[in-house]
Amino acid sequence: MLRIVTALVLAAAAVPARAGIPAEQEDCLGCHTDPSMTFDLPSGEKLQLGIDQAAFARSVHGEMLRCTECHTDKTSDHATGELKFKSRREVTRAYYEQCKGCHFANYTKTLDGVHFAVMAKGNDKAALCVDCHGAHDISRPGQPRTRISRMCSTCHPKEAEIYAKSVHGRAADSTADVPVCTDCHRAHDTTDPRDGALAMRTPEICGRCHTDEKLMARYGLSTRVVDTYLADFHGMASTLQRGHETRPGVQLAAVCTDCHGVHDIQKPEDPRSSVMSANLGKTCAKCHAGAPETFPRAWLSHYEPTLEKAPLVWGVTLFYKLMIPFMVGGLVLQIALHLWRVVVNR
Amino acid sequence: MSDYIVRFNLQQRVEHFVTMVTFALLCLTGLPQKFYQADWAHALVGLFGGYDNTRWIHRIAGITLAVSTVVHFSKGILIMLSKRQYFSMVPTRKDFEDAILQLRYYLGMTEKHPRYDRYTYKEKFEYWGLVVGNVIMVATGFILFFPVQAASIIPGQFIPAAKVAHSNEGLMAFFVITIWHIFNAHLNPDVFPFDASIFTGKVSRERYQHEHPLELARLEGGPPDVRGQDAAQGHGTDRREVG
Repeated sequence: MLRIVTALVLAAAAVPARAGIPAEQEDCLGCHTDPSMTFDLPSGEKLQLGIDQAAFARSVHGEMLRCTECHTDKTSDHATGELKFKSRREVTRAYYEQCKGCHFANYTKTLDGVHFAVMAKGNDKAALCVDCHGAHDISRPGQPRTRISRMCSTCHPKEAEIYAKSVHGRAADSTADVPVCTDCHRAHDTTDPRDGALAMRTPEICGRCHTDEKLMARYGLSTRVVDTYLADFHGMASTLQRGHETRPGVQLAAVCTDCHGVHDIQKPEDPRSSVMSANLGKTCAKCHAGAPETFPRAWLSHYEPTLEKAPLVWGVTLFYKLMIPFMVGGLVLQIALHLWRVVVNR
Repeated sequence: MSDYIVRFNLQQRVEHFVTMVTFALLCLTGLPQKFYQADWAHALVGLFGGYDNTRWIHRIAGITLAVSTVVHFSKGILIMLSKRQYFSMVPTRKDFEDAILQLRYYLGMTEKHPRYDRYTYKEKFEYWGLVVGNVIMVATGFILFFPVQAASIIPGQFIPAAKVAHSNEGLMAFFVITIWHIFNAHLNPDVFPFDASIFTGKVSRERYQHEHPLELARLEGGPPDVRGQDAAQGHGTDRREVG
């Protein structure tokens, strides 16, 4: 035992104290710094074997990890000229599993994500940890935030292009107030947008920002949009549909994105906006087939039914606010009197 | 002389049964839509097989109630036209006098109890409440069922107004039935625990004498029974006399 401790102490003392990054403590960087060093994979691709040491040193792991902490199967005598991998993708898939050793919580989340689900079905291109985070050059995510959307756009260019033109996308470079991809879609447990489950969450997703008084005040926007939505027919129906029937083919009640758009959301006064008054009829008709031009007037446009905005709705509401207590109170009073007399008669 | 009176004919009993079943279904499928944020609402919707099913059950029950209302009124109009029978549900001056007298009796201001004809003011109130409620519920219900068609013939604002009216009128009907009707048909000491007459059609002659003396007298072709006029119809008094 003592001998082992002594050996370790000696070994530690033998390492030059000035070593810049832990990775240098192993001999890997002696070979793997030449960018021209490649390996020909059976797929015809070239696997780059040299890494950019400076980039790795700058990365979040630079001051923490040694090479073999991820490349666990490598020993100093591995340079036999053979690799078991057929393609670059196989290399990526083999090493992405290493992340979970430390990042178990986020790894577990990815198991619920759409990327994992499509990978399990055989989609080789589905994003793995390193596809979004990088490998040797991993930096803190969201610095800057727009890097997140750019990352997604490498696989989802169509959506990214539409988003970039939207009210959110246009402002993404200049402010952190607007959502980037992961704010709505989540990062690790990215929801499949196709089965309706994500749509059903939109009142909560959009509401996170659109009910934030401070944030909305900066843009002069109402924070009552979610409440007024929920108080209306669509909000009621979508609330009751939550947790039920989110399979494709079931017509779900309209949520935020059904009227406002998804990646292409614009200000309501923008002529391109699907909820601009001139376009609203067409938007309603997406679900309400044959809706007349006047149909949008049946919708209170997220306004609360005040005397000015909707006198009829206001009046009916007030009538029942008075009528129900009057009616119930009157009947209960009469029952009480009746019972009282029965007791007196006994 | 028979010891019971046939108060409700088969058609009336069937109408009540249809109304009872559809009303219960409408409440069970409608109230979750009003209180959609409550856990029990989600549980009920789950019980009916999801939101779409719940809505369809609500609509079918609503249409059934609408049809039964139309049938009921067609029959009523026919009877009135044929003049074979007076329409005993029409409120009269006597109903208002009865109501005041009844309340004075409850308050102990008088020992004189109203002597009722076929329907008491309470029954007429509930009947007309149901009629007005049904008309509101059917009209607003159809607006909500067919909003696109409705918007092409009436101003758009009628649709959200119809939603408010349908939702609140429904809640009020629920309260009236659970408080007033359940009291009168079940918890009222005179009938506790269950007034079965609307299902069997029959009421004992003794109870009829107590509750509807004027109609009984007319049925039996005699003058109204005036014995014990002051207190015979009072609550819990004649039982004691009989016992």
